[in-house]
Amino acid sequence: MTSIADRPTLPKLIGERVKRREDPRLIQGRATYVDDLKVAGMLHLAFKRSDIAHGKIRSIDIAAAAAMPGVELVITGAQLAEFLAPMPIGTPFPSPAHYAVATDTVRYQGEPVAVVVASDRYLARDAADAIEVEFDPLPAVINLEQAMTGQPTVIHADFPNNLAVPYVPGGTGVDAVAGTVDNTAIDKAFADAEIVISQRMMNHRLAPSAMEPRGVLAHFEPGKEQMTIWSSTQNPHILKTFIAAMTGLSETQVRAIAPEVGGGFGAKINIYGEEYAAAALSKKLGVPLKWVEDRSEAFQATIHGRDILCYIDVAARRDGKVLGLKLKLIADIGAYNMLLTAAIPTLTMLMLNGTYDIPAVRAELTEVFTNKTPTDAYRGAGRPEAAYFVERAMDMLARELGMDPADVRKKNFIQPSQFPYATQMGAVYDSGDYEKALNLALKNANWDGLKAERDRARSEGRLVGLGLAFYVEVCGLGPSASLPTGGWEHAGVTIERGGKITATTGSSPHGQGNETTFAQMLADQFSIPMSDVTILHGDTGVVKQGIGTFGSRSQAVGGTVLMLAGDKVKKKMAKFAAAMMDANENDLVFENGMISVKGSPGTGKSFAEVASYAYVPVPLPAGLEPGLSDEAFWEPENNTYPFGCHIAMLEIDRETGEPKLLKLVAVDDCGTVINPMIVEGQVHGGLAQGIGQAMIEEVVYDEDGQLITGSFMDYAIPRATDFPWFEMDKTVTPTPVNPLGAKGVGEAGTLGSTPCIVNAAVDALSGFGVKHIDMMLRPEKLWNIINGGTA
Amino acid sequence: MEITGDHHFKAPRDKVWQALLDRQALQASMPGCERFEEVSPESYDLTIRVGIAAIKGTYTGNVQVKDLDEARQTYRLLVAGSGKPGHVQGDAVMHLTDIPGGTLVSYTGEVKAQGAIARLGSRLLGGAAKLMIGQFFKAMEKQVEARTT
Amino acid sequence: MSTRVPVTITVNGKVRTAEVEPRLLLVHFLRENLGLTGTHVGCDTSQCGACTIMVDGQSAKSCTIFAVQADGCNLQTIEGLAPEGGLHAMQEGFWEEHGLQCGYCTPGMIMSGVDLLNENPNPSEAEIRKGIDGNFCRCTGYQHIVKAIQYAAKKG
Repeated sequence: MTSIADRPTLPKLIGERVKRREDPRLIQGRATYVDDLKVAGMLHLAFKRSDIAHGKIRSIDIAAAAAMPGVELVITGAQLAEFLAPMPIGTPFPSPAHYAVATDTVRYQGEPVAVVVASDRYLARDAADAIEVEFDPLPAVINLEQAMTGQPTVIHADFPNNLAVPYVPGGTGVDAVAGTVDNTAIDKAFADAEIVISQRMMNHRLAPSAMEPRGVLAHFEPGKEQMTIWSSTQNPHILKTFIAAMTGLSETQVRAIAPEVGGGFGAKINIYGEEYAAAALSKKLGVPLKWVEDRSEAFQATIHGRDILCYIDVAARRDGKVLGLKLKLIADIGAYNMLLTAAIPTLTMLMLNGTYDIPAVRAELTEVFTNKTPTDAYRGAGRPEAAYFVERAMDMLARELGMDPADVRKKNFIQPSQFPYATQMGAVYDSGDYEKALNLALKNANWDGLKAERDRARSEGRLVGLGLAFYVEVCGLGPSASLPTGGWEHAGVTIERGGKITATTGSSPHGQGNETTFAQMLADQFSIPMSDVTILHGDTGVVKQGIGTFGSRSQAVGGTVLMLAGDKVKKKMAKFAAAMMDANENDLVFENGMISVKGSPGTGKSFAEVASYAYVPVPLPAGLEPGLSDEAFWEPENNTYPFGCHIAMLEIDRETGEPKLLKLVAVDDCGTVINPMIVEGQVHGGLAQGIGQAMIEEVVYDEDGQLITGSFMDYAIPRATDFPWFEMDKTVTPTPVNPLGAKGVGEAGTLGSTPCIVNAAVDALSGFGVKHIDMMLRPEKLWNIINGGTA
Repeated sequence: MEITGDHHFKAPRDKVWQALLDRQALQASMPGCERFEEVSPESYDLTIRVGIAAIKGTYTGNVQVKDLDEARQTYRLLVAGSGKPGHVQGDAVMHLTDIPGGTLVSYTGEVKAQGAIARLGSRLLGGAAKLMIGQFFKAMEKQVEARTT
Repeated sequence: MSTRVPVTITVNGKVRTAEVEPRLLLVHFLRENLGLTGTHVGCDTSQCGACTIMVDGQSAKSCTIFAVQADGCNLQTIEGLAPEGGLHAMQEGFWEEHGLQCGYCTPGMIMSGVDLLNENPNPSEAEIRKGIDGNFCRCTGYQHIVKAIQYAAKKG
């Protein structure tokens, strides 16, 4: 028997900056992404894509392509549709038929029209280039507000006026069940208003741009009748279910594997046409097929994000109190509904209260088809849009009233005593202390000092502005009622014979570091060294069930269920230990790799001894089965609502109009933090994408629906030189929704940064009478304002 | 994208006018022209090879002269071409005026692109169009010279 | 495209000979022919830098070079940066300072960081940011990458 005193005391790991165990393979180039995989007999796919935004396919000539040596098969969309049905979506909204490869009409530039199977990837591309397609062009529907009137044409015959989701009302006085709307409260708010602010704002279209483009390797083994599909996906279990359904296999015949995944940002939640085509063709041909997207394809064929137009009216008193908000949202969802497309703008609706106690809110949402790449979840997915609209509006109100932007927010904040707080939009915010986070941000930024610095710079003729934004986000998705895929997560914990732990999680990461944070948790839970814990993920052949990684849910949902699975095994292990020691299981403690009786630290059994006994239990304690392995499903009763405050200082070059970000201060509250280093990394990344949206990123189509930001030459993702040193801090308001108290942080950075930067730009140019500037902050736009034009 | 510009010819206006509308002169002046066939008066099918960065490739297409107005010395030139990098369309109004010592040909029009050219080469398109128009006029100058001497 | 050209390229100290298509990109030669998949492809316009390697001691984007152009060159990829079982100071820095998340840009970013310190062993924050301007990272916001390079610089 080993004495506890002989053992080094194990440090508590939760809350520590533990280095990531994912990193050694990644920094040595030894990780395996989809494109690194090779399977014997593997052939390559290439897709011929439409060069036009909208048109009927008149003819496809595949003869030259099919005749090339090494080309196994060339197949058109219509031929593929004979054995591959239209793609399913994950939302309950009506949806037009959307084939993996277009059958008779193309509706966005880049939509696939034919597929090549060839022995080599260069050859596959050559053959795709050799396919000749003739189109009868149709007018391209590009302008959102024209599209809503059916102009210049209707994209899907069954959707008059291009309305994908015609009208969804929300807010005060809306009875969702009866579909009735009572305007009394909102009308009163505007009747009582001493000031009304009205603005049209565009939250423009973005390209998610994970550094690893999408990729898939589908391998159907005839005879064995099994499909293995490797994909760069955020949710292998959902992929498994959908691939099975679409290939006519049962879920037991499909194994989906997310190997190393090089970023997702929401874009890899979807199951795409290329994945279905690869699976269906592999099944048909009986050979493994690989397709890896190139960047040009990614810009056209991977979902885009955002693209919501908002008309907002704010009713307020002169003391800054907001009495009512009216919003009209119109989302440009592109040519088709993808997995969650139609649901994303509904998340914008859900978060339109912001962090404010507003007596009446009325919003309506319309979703519109256009001849553009479909939109779907992109980091933040609906919530940054809400934060942007509300925080720009609060800033306009402050400016109009001559109030400090921080004071207007304080005047309207939901107070800590009001939680749980049911918003007008139907959310129930779990916990929050907004003023505390705001005050910390003001202090860290030296807000008054910054204002003096700004004023000094202005007196020298420099165009310097300050911006502040406060956000709340919905994370930790969520109860199944709010998520069509199911809102739970799954985990399994096995204590091996030698006392090491193998755990599985349905949260399939793509950079979030779950292998580290989850191991930290289990090491603490069992009080064993972290090196004794292994976390497995991303393989439906290993991880029994799962939902996946999106909506900032890994820690809040995936982490919680892992802990619950651990609890089950721990209880059983305590029973074995109790039998070994002839003690009461309730008196046992797990400490420093030992299980011993509370208060008797010199005695006990080592973790490994007990594990070993559990697998060769002679004698088998009464009422126990051998082994130490269990699993859990768990779903939260509510989402979580993290929040934070971002402050920016920005200077605009008077000569060129070029904006430069001078300072960014962030205070984020994501509840309990497992690994602060990883949390910081998540916020940094979110900030970068939020700043990118405000300043340099924009997907642009010309009037014919040609994507003219089709590469990194024209679509500017931020570089290292675009940022100042981010000044970070946090408050910790645990959520009561899960036992960890963790809320989620993956998307937070994108919420506050975007509006605070635009607020700063408007502040910098306030001397020119400008009240609002639509993103992105193109130097040309700013230069025009400086030179007497309009935004 | 809009494209405007002009070119100064040292020849009299009627000579320039004739040359600009002459089949042989047009064919000889088209940069990278590999094939030039008259399909109807003032409409020609052609194949040209372009060697400029992202728009590099062989294009087959059509050139049409329309709205010919000799009195006002203007006409419209429509160009359309397709190649592996995508499709290009140009629509320009040409206008000739007398200037001391010669003729000024000014043009104003629009160039549109589809496909990879639009995605990858849109920034290059203006420059490439200018370059090719420059080459065209340089070659056309020689044609005018040949016709006046 | 059947013409094949013989090349002899030294990669991570090993001499490799092959017959390649003239149009084969160096990055594909490394990945497909030699199985060195640590070098990644993140774009098709030579912007992102995920494919950065060392060519004769200087960083280069291996997607802008044809394999035939590298004939006779001495290449180093992420797999050959440190002796077997060890880590280069730059790799250590990325691990210590959380300079990576999804890891896709990381090999290229590390190679650019090594090249930067070769030329400027003690760079300022601004010089580091400029030095990695040709490498995109979509996950980290670059701050921890800057710290990683500072760590490696301090370690010398």
